[in-house]
Amino acid sequence: MAIVNLQNVTYKYPLTHMPVLQNISLQINEGEFVAVVGPNGAGKSTLCYTLAGFVPHFFKGEISGSVEVAGMESSQSTLDAWVMNVGLAFQNPFNQISGAKYTVFEELAFGLENIGVPRDEMKARVTNAMDLTGISDLANRSPYSLSGGQQQRVALASILVMQPKVLVLDEPTSQMDPIGTREVFGVIRKMAEQGMTVILVEHKVEWIAQFADRVIALKDGQLLLDGTPSEVLTSPILEESGFGISRYTAVARKAHGLGLWKTDRLPVTLEEAAEGFSFTPSPSLRSASQSPQGKGERRP
Amino acid sequence: MHERLSFFVKRDSPIHRLNPMTKVVLALSLVLIAFSSPWYWTPQAIFLLAIIPLTFIARVVKEYWSFFLKVILATVSFLFIMQSLFLPGESRIIFEIFGLEVTELSAQLALRNATRIAVMISSFTILLLTTHPSELMSDLTRRGLPGQFAYVIISSLQIIPQMQAKAQTIISAQRARGLDTQSSFFRRVGAIVPLVGPLVFGSLVEVEERAIAIEARGFTSTRAKTSLHEIPDPSSERVIRWILIALVLVSITLKLWLS
Repeated sequence: MAIVNLQNVTYKYPLTHMPVLQNISLQINEGEFVAVVGPNGAGKSTLCYTLAGFVPHFFKGEISGSVEVAGMESSQSTLDAWVMNVGLAFQNPFNQISGAKYTVFEELAFGLENIGVPRDEMKARVTNAMDLTGISDLANRSPYSLSGGQQQRVALASILVMQPKVLVLDEPTSQMDPIGTREVFGVIRKMAEQGMTVILVEHKVEWIAQFADRVIALKDGQLLLDGTPSEVLTSPILEESGFGISRYTAVARKAHGLGLWKTDRLPVTLEEAAEGFSFTPSPSLRSASQSPQGKGERRP
Repeated sequence: MHERLSFFVKRDSPIHRLNPMTKVVLALSLVLIAFSSPWYWTPQAIFLLAIIPLTFIARVVKEYWSFFLKVILATVSFLFIMQSLFLPGESRIIFEIFGLEVTELSAQLALRNATRIAVMISSFTILLLTTHPSELMSDLTRRGLPGQFAYVIISSLQIIPQMQAKAQTIISAQRARGLDTQSSFFRRVGAIVPLVGPLVFGSLVEVEERAIAIEARGFTSTRAKTSLHEIPDPSSERVIRWILIALVLVSITLKLWLS
């Protein structure tokens, strides 16, 4: 069953002329993990805001088409009802800390206080979310004294306590170092394993390939590609659109040209690359290396 | 770490355990009685018999007196000197300076006014020393203070130090590119311009993001809010509050009646 259903959505921010989203139609099933990729300015963040209800309720502007998430129609609902179903986390962990609370435990409870959850249930939900995100040992620390990766997990946890049906993540690891990235992806993986519908905007294609069921590529506000990670992430169309491909795909494509890559399926991650790589030089390679062109390409 | 804007000192004392509202009412009553009482010695008596014992009961003696010496004493002394010089008083002249007379009456009035101010600053200092800001705000919200208002107060206590840190980072970054922040006054004023842009525009972007973040957590939800911490409000404290309010009314009535 589709939990997200966009029909011909076109959206323009106030005071702008060009629509940021153009005629986007998209269905996402319950429990699906969808990654969204695309070059800068493709409308990825705007798509996130649309799914999370901030377009048009917070940003105003002109929207046409229909946005339906978890059985609610955007034009017929209010933002405070919408956020009960859809959780949103974004890049900068620092800006997602409410600033009204002095400990991580209180920070997580902030959202539950706002929606009037009884105290006992609140404590249980906060404890649970801290376990899930691995921040139990930070419960009494100030949210401002944490590292970026820890803060981002606090931000994720404070969305998870709200128990959304759909989780929208807008480049949650773009400001993280490799350790922070791994911590945050660990949490996202758990969410996906629990069957939550996750929509993730991300540039780190190697991570996407490991997690996502499906990848959507956007360009200039339009849907460019929609398919499995290996289809989309290795597509020449994606590369032409200005979005980089993984280094493993790039290497494998070269190897394929030289006849070193047997299958037509190109890898995205290191593991896939190691599996697909063939060490025995094929006859075509031998002839390629003997040809003058092949020799000329070699460097001393 | 950055300087904290909150005065709160975590201690275990009877005053700390009081409901925040009781402390607010206590602080306000002490101030109102000090200002409205018709008797000359009331503010002095409040200072000696209420404020000083309270600092002991609340176990904030060290913190209070360090604040007293740093801030209250200077303010109050300045006030006392200016008032005794400028308040008119037709009585015996104690001494004259620059053609200004300090008379017995003006000195008396100045002492009373200075003590009133001391009582006012002190009682709120004790309130802030013994009450956690978020506890105060969540209690006030429970009593009908708009949540947005409470959020502005509480978040600025934490976010302003963060912004100061950010301003410092911007200054260091610009200085590393040759910005002069230490020479003559006019040069320094000129130097502010390139600092303001990043700070102001950066903050505006931050405010928008923070608004989205708290909105995503149901900030403007129309449901009745709950709170994580239970703030006890026993009926005995309600009685204390009504007694304090009655005392204030008595003091104001006497003032109006006797004058």
